[in-house]
Amino acid sequence: MDWKQVPETVLRTDVLIIGGGAAGMWAAKRLKENDPGLDVLMVDKGPESWGGLMRLAGGDFAAVLPGESVDDWVKDVVYYWDGLCEQDVMEDIFSQSYDRLLDYKNLGCEFLEDENGNLRGVPQRGLDHCRLYPAKLKGTGGQNMAEAMVKEMVRLGVRRMSRTLVTDLVKDGDRVIGAVGFHSITGEYYIFQARAVIVACGNASWKPGYNSNTSTGEWVDMCFQAGVELRNFETLTVMNAPKLFFWEGQAIYLALGGRFVNALGEPFMDKYSPVLGANTDNNYITRAMAIEIRNGRGPIYLDLSQIKPEDMVFVKPQTGNQMMNYEKLLAEGIDFFHDKNIEFIPQVQLTLGGAATAPDGGTGVEGLYVCGRSRSLDYVYMGGFGLSSTAITGYITGNAVADYLRTASAGREVSVGEAAGLKEKLYSPMGDAGLTPKQVLIKVQNLMSHYDVCLLKSAESLTAALGELDRLRTEELPRMYAADPHYLLKYKEVEGIFLLTELYLRASLLRQESRGSHYRLDYPKRNDKDFLGWIVQRQGADGSVVQRVKPVPLARYKHPVDRFYSDNFTF
Amino acid sequence: MIQTIDSGKCVGCGLCAAKCPLDVLRVRAGKAVIAYPDDCMTCYICERSCPQGAIFVHPFKEAAPPVLPGILEFLSTRDGRPS
Repeated sequence: MDWKQVPETVLRTDVLIIGGGAAGMWAAKRLKENDPGLDVLMVDKGPESWGGLMRLAGGDFAAVLPGESVDDWVKDVVYYWDGLCEQDVMEDIFSQSYDRLLDYKNLGCEFLEDENGNLRGVPQRGLDHCRLYPAKLKGTGGQNMAEAMVKEMVRLGVRRMSRTLVTDLVKDGDRVIGAVGFHSITGEYYIFQARAVIVACGNASWKPGYNSNTSTGEWVDMCFQAGVELRNFETLTVMNAPKLFFWEGQAIYLALGGRFVNALGEPFMDKYSPVLGANTDNNYITRAMAIEIRNGRGPIYLDLSQIKPEDMVFVKPQTGNQMMNYEKLLAEGIDFFHDKNIEFIPQVQLTLGGAATAPDGGTGVEGLYVCGRSRSLDYVYMGGFGLSSTAITGYITGNAVADYLRTASAGREVSVGEAAGLKEKLYSPMGDAGLTPKQVLIKVQNLMSHYDVCLLKSAESLTAALGELDRLRTEELPRMYAADPHYLLKYKEVEGIFLLTELYLRASLLRQESRGSHYRLDYPKRNDKDFLGWIVQRQGADGSVVQRVKPVPLARYKHPVDRFYSDNFTF
Repeated sequence: MIQTIDSGKCVGCGLCAAKCPLDVLRVRAGKAVIAYPDDCMTCYICERSCPQGAIFVHPFKEAAPPVLPGILEFLSTRDGRPS
């Protein structure tokens, strides 16, 4: 088949939403609620009506309850994120969190409550105030939310397309006017003419498996090429993962007495943080794991023997895919809650980097907005913030785009020539010989997983990794091919993961200090004088990565930056 | 990872293929087949959605990338590559 001759369709809409997960659906909901006359087209690369990765989430939701202080929560995250917190933005976000929890409740999603109907919150990571509120049934909380939101999309008349990957944004000067993409089963080419575009594609991952394999780097590449400013790419989620299978929910176990132990049976976090011990963020735990393993005290196991019987309701899966996983492991002779020899390893999952936007999700490109996990807010992940930040920022950006469209002038359309040029580029990897996307992906995953690349970084190891990435880019990437449209989608993902990896390595090299999950062996201390700021990156005129440190505007903020979560640790 | 689809039980309803987040499954000649096994992320959505109980997903994942050695050691010992 000559892929340059594939059928193409022009689709016109007021708002193109890229990504059909929680954030995209919240933005769509608010657009239609503000102005039912708007045409909203939501495009997702996954299956019809699945609702994105929210479907696989446990259902924990971070919210400030009535009577609690939003300021207390902001102070908690200023501390937890080692100062890299947009305080005014987070105040606004937290102040809307309970409303979104109530919205979910009103849509029929149930949360865990005590006998008096009060929400049962779980404190986490040794923070004073931030809590997460679990779904009523552990295992299907996210699925229920996804299904409730999909119903809203149907009720509100949001047009939706599935199995479709948007690959490039099209601009006229500094304004977005549309996008192009393709169907990953039929291969059909789409040209989207849109007055505004919202990117809501989730966190970008290295495809670690289970709950993070769909959202990868291609949207980062798309935004980078469109001139969007990015930030926080030096910070990752490196998860403590069972070596053989998938499991989630460790944060809650640690809050309730669970702990990781080394091969000698020592609860090693007590050594690295006498203050917090085991109940801390997984990135600090995986850093310690790497040190333990490197020093010959591996493997690492999870010890749940200290959890009180009455707290097991928070711990044991009761339904859904988590329950099925638990039962299947039992059938294989593995009892997650009683076996003492289940090995855990550090695993690179995803970046917390994303777009650096205005408070409403606006980018420097007129008409282009980013919301949900694709917008970078948190410097270290907090349990429950996925479901809560997607709902809140999707809501905010939906409102903002509805406002924007009230006064926006009509832009021009994507031209035939622009669409044809992008089409030729898009289908150029189609072929029948070379390296599959998976073969190349594994090499980048392996590159990232070395402990001195993902956890214990140094100028030497990061520079070596950058050299190896360049070698893969020169020697292997040109040999990668796509045998059909399914593989073309995977091809675009892997291409994006190359950029993701480069952004990570370059930002990690620039940050010559240690902060949050970013740890440099050659700069093990914080350096507030030079680095109390966000590393922002964008595409330079020659296509390369241009980066700088953007200082935290302390004079403008309400709370002093004088407590640091990382001070609890000595490595 | 997805392991088997029992073609004797499969009635070709296509629910699994329609719901797989990663497009691993397709319906061909009236039966669901594992078209792209490498892309499975072990989410169990197909097995849970199959009305015939025809699908089995094994709970083990593909081998995780190694954490050790560090990249400097890896590059210095790799055959045919300069350190």
